[in-house]
Amino acid sequence: MSSGTEAPDLQRSSGIERIKETGYGGVFVACAAVTLLTTIAIFVTLLSDAFAFFMQVPATEFLFSTEWSPNPLGGGQVFGIVPLVIGTLTVTITAALIAIPIGTLTAIYLSEYATSRLRSILKPMLEVLAGIPTVVYGYFALVYVTPALQATLFPQMSTFNALSASLMVGIMTIPMVSSISEDAMSAVPDSLRQAGYGLGATKYEVSTGIVVPASLSGIASSYILAISRAIGETMIVVVAMGAQANMPDVQRAILGIPYIHPGDVLFDPGMTITVSMVQIAGSDLTGGTVPYDAMFALGLALFVVTLIMNVLSDLIAERYREEY
Amino acid sequence: MAVERDTADSGFGEVSRIKGIAFRYLSFGASVIGILALAALLVYVFVDAFDLANASPEWLLTYFLTLVAPFIGFCLYSAGDRELLGRTVLALGGGLLGTAVAFEAIELLVRPIPRLTWPVAYLFVVAVPVVGYVLFAGAQKPVGRTGFGLLGRPVGGATLGTAVAMLFIVFDMRLWFLVYTLGIFPAGLVRAYGGLRGAGRLAGLSVPIGVVGVVAAAFLRNVIRTYPTSPLIFAWTFGVPIAFAAATLVGSRGASRESAAAVGVVSLVAAGLGTTLGSSALPDGSTVLVLAATVAPTATYLHRTVESGEGLSGLALPVLLGGGALAGAAIVGAFGIPAPDPWLDPGFVTEAPSRNAVEAGLYPAIVGSVIIIAIVALLSFVLGVGAAVFLEEYTADTGIVGGITRIIQINIANLAAVPSVVYGLLGLGLFANLLGFGFGTAVTASLTLSLLILPITVISAQEAIRSVPNDLRQASYGMGATRWQTTKNVVLPEALPGILTGTILALGRAIGETAPLIMIGAATTVFSAPNDVWSRFSAMPMQIFAWSDFPQAEFRYGVVAAGVVTLLIVLLSMNATAIIIRNKMERGT
Repeated sequence: MSSGTEAPDLQRSSGIERIKETGYGGVFVACAAVTLLTTIAIFVTLLSDAFAFFMQVPATEFLFSTEWSPNPLGGGQVFGIVPLVIGTLTVTITAALIAIPIGTLTAIYLSEYATSRLRSILKPMLEVLAGIPTVVYGYFALVYVTPALQATLFPQMSTFNALSASLMVGIMTIPMVSSISEDAMSAVPDSLRQAGYGLGATKYEVSTGIVVPASLSGIASSYILAISRAIGETMIVVVAMGAQANMPDVQRAILGIPYIHPGDVLFDPGMTITVSMVQIAGSDLTGGTVPYDAMFALGLALFVVTLIMNVLSDLIAERYREEY
Repeated sequence: MAVERDTADSGFGEVSRIKGIAFRYLSFGASVIGILALAALLVYVFVDAFDLANASPEWLLTYFLTLVAPFIGFCLYSAGDRELLGRTVLALGGGLLGTAVAFEAIELLVRPIPRLTWPVAYLFVVAVPVVGYVLFAGAQKPVGRTGFGLLGRPVGGATLGTAVAMLFIVFDMRLWFLVYTLGIFPAGLVRAYGGLRGAGRLAGLSVPIGVVGVVAAAFLRNVIRTYPTSPLIFAWTFGVPIAFAAATLVGSRGASRESAAAVGVVSLVAAGLGTTLGSSALPDGSTVLVLAATVAPTATYLHRTVESGEGLSGLALPVLLGGGALAGAAIVGAFGIPAPDPWLDPGFVTEAPSRNAVEAGLYPAIVGSVIIIAIVALLSFVLGVGAAVFLEEYTADTGIVGGITRIIQINIANLAAVPSVVYGLLGLGLFANLLGFGFGTAVTASLTLSLLILPITVISAQEAIRSVPNDLRQASYGMGATRWQTTKNVVLPEALPGILTGTILALGRAIGETAPLIMIGAATTVFSAPNDVWSRFSAMPMQIFAWSDFPQAEFRYGVVAAGVVTLLIVLLSMNATAIIIRNKMERGT
């Protein structure tokens, strides 16, 4: 024991130390502020150019026109978001039809049926699905899935089509549904399950009748997050879906009820909001032109929609969470 | 008893049991269907990239016998488990029969399966999982651990060395020379001296010395006219420090002075050999760096293994694999067995893209990706850790500060879910147009991608920091340490493996991102590697995107497949590194 270690180190409270302490604190605050600044920067960038866009193109045309042709070929430039929304909805709905049932069943299996060993193998493998770069999924859809579907089920399908792109988007979003839903299901207390067994319920009845209803808020919020991810998905659709802003024919069923035949949108090329942004970016980046500003208007629409869905998903998870 | 029999007879239980079993298998099927679909697609892309569709059964058999079978044997020997041996033989043999029969049956009854033969199917469906399983089992035991460790060091060292060397395609080597000589080297010297003498005050001087040196280097860069040749610069700035670090590491393990010196000398000699070798794909003289980075960890590892004497026979693994590959090549050559012509070959990663499919390569795109990822790694690590430290260590839970913290937290969660294409717009509007960093430059791309993965790095760094036990903090505070001292000396070292794991995984996300790069105007194809960070560049996913537009079959089923496999291999090795770091950490605590 030397005397040096026993004496209290009064140097620590010296002015230099205090300045150092405040300085490092300031650096950390600045780092945290970058995240806030990012959001503000996104808002400002999108809003300023979108504002310039709406100065030149009336909002009614943007929202209700059924034609999207940012590069004038013969006719004038028309900026109607409707065909893009239809393309985005096609992809999102088809992907959701794949990801939601598969993801939910996966979550039930992982949380209720799988042994812990199997779970420790399956969960990382499912995460791989979300980790593959999306451009690779797009390549798979274009080069392997579309020819396979053409050769087997749908010979009338065109090379670029919405269906195989949507299939890949669906596969990519499975882990998003399954992991959040599984977290919610695992949070259901065991006493509820035991009570169910005590009443004579089978494992199936406990899973579907007790665990799923009890974790419904988490499951719903996982659906919304997955759909939001599918809306914003870019590279898969860019590579595999082509880039034609088509309006599908509206057909009339009995009693004159209008409907859109799924084949019209699924087997043909289409264009989503994200695809049209990439298409403009491929041709026109210097700024100041209407298509350039249109890109930001589309980005704003995308940002707002996904933001609302994320907030909604948070709210549902918070508000309707069953407290145990 | 009577009651029980009653329920059993009524058949009531039967019905719900069938429903339950059906549901169980349905949900199991759902959990694997996505994985299986992806696996099938991956098999196809690997078959295309390596041209396995044209591999003759003899060729496959030769390499199976000379390369795969000895490797499985090595793993089984390491595992030393009789039961495992039995299971492996059963799986390989039964799988052979099963695959052949099932494959032929499908071809006969349903429809021919395009571009697959049953030996290739066997390779992927049976051999690859079996190898993975025995590899996992073998790696648990000392022999296997030694073998894989010995394989991993040179491979990892060479990869890292090559990546660092690629940075000097863009960054100024002479500036680096001055920065190192005037800043880093003296600072390190002072720090080491202070550490040895126990003079904390002297060691504290190292930071100002380093800063002054770096500033001086920036000023002197254009004043000084004569510089050493580039091999000398690489030897002085990388070869010597790496050799010294290897020797110090060996010495710190309690080895004799001689053996430590021997490891250092071996590394130095290897680096010196690099001056005589040239490489067309890397900057002049950088082979010094690559060789030093390859040999130094290998020599250190060899020394440690020999010293501990555990699992010595594992050292034969590289010989086994090298010999197997040579023997396979000799047999193939001697009997004139037709070999497949893989698209993914050394030329593919060292040559520039071309209209001609056979000559097309990924080299400029790889360089672009490496440079972007290096800058992104630096930026997102600093920003991510800083923000996480603020949120976990510095902020309060209550009051105005608490409110702001909650807002930041919610904001980070929402940023993580913003589509990547919107980040591209941010990069285009803010960095490229408003701040004038240029369209598609490495700077714009790196800044954009850093912001894109920032939420992920912050969240994972927060989790790592949160998992540091509170006792440690309290103990540090109890000894009179300030908040910064506690963070620097206690919390961050403890959380570092977790932070690194999270950052590497996030970088994996950044390396595959394409949409933001398109939005900021990155070039789809560049024919030479970029010269500086302000020039237009391409990246691996951009090049894949560009090629996937080509209608020719050689591109669709050949060149792009090779590009995709390269990208996936890079991703896989990054994730494997992250997992290895995490496992080491878990073993440590």
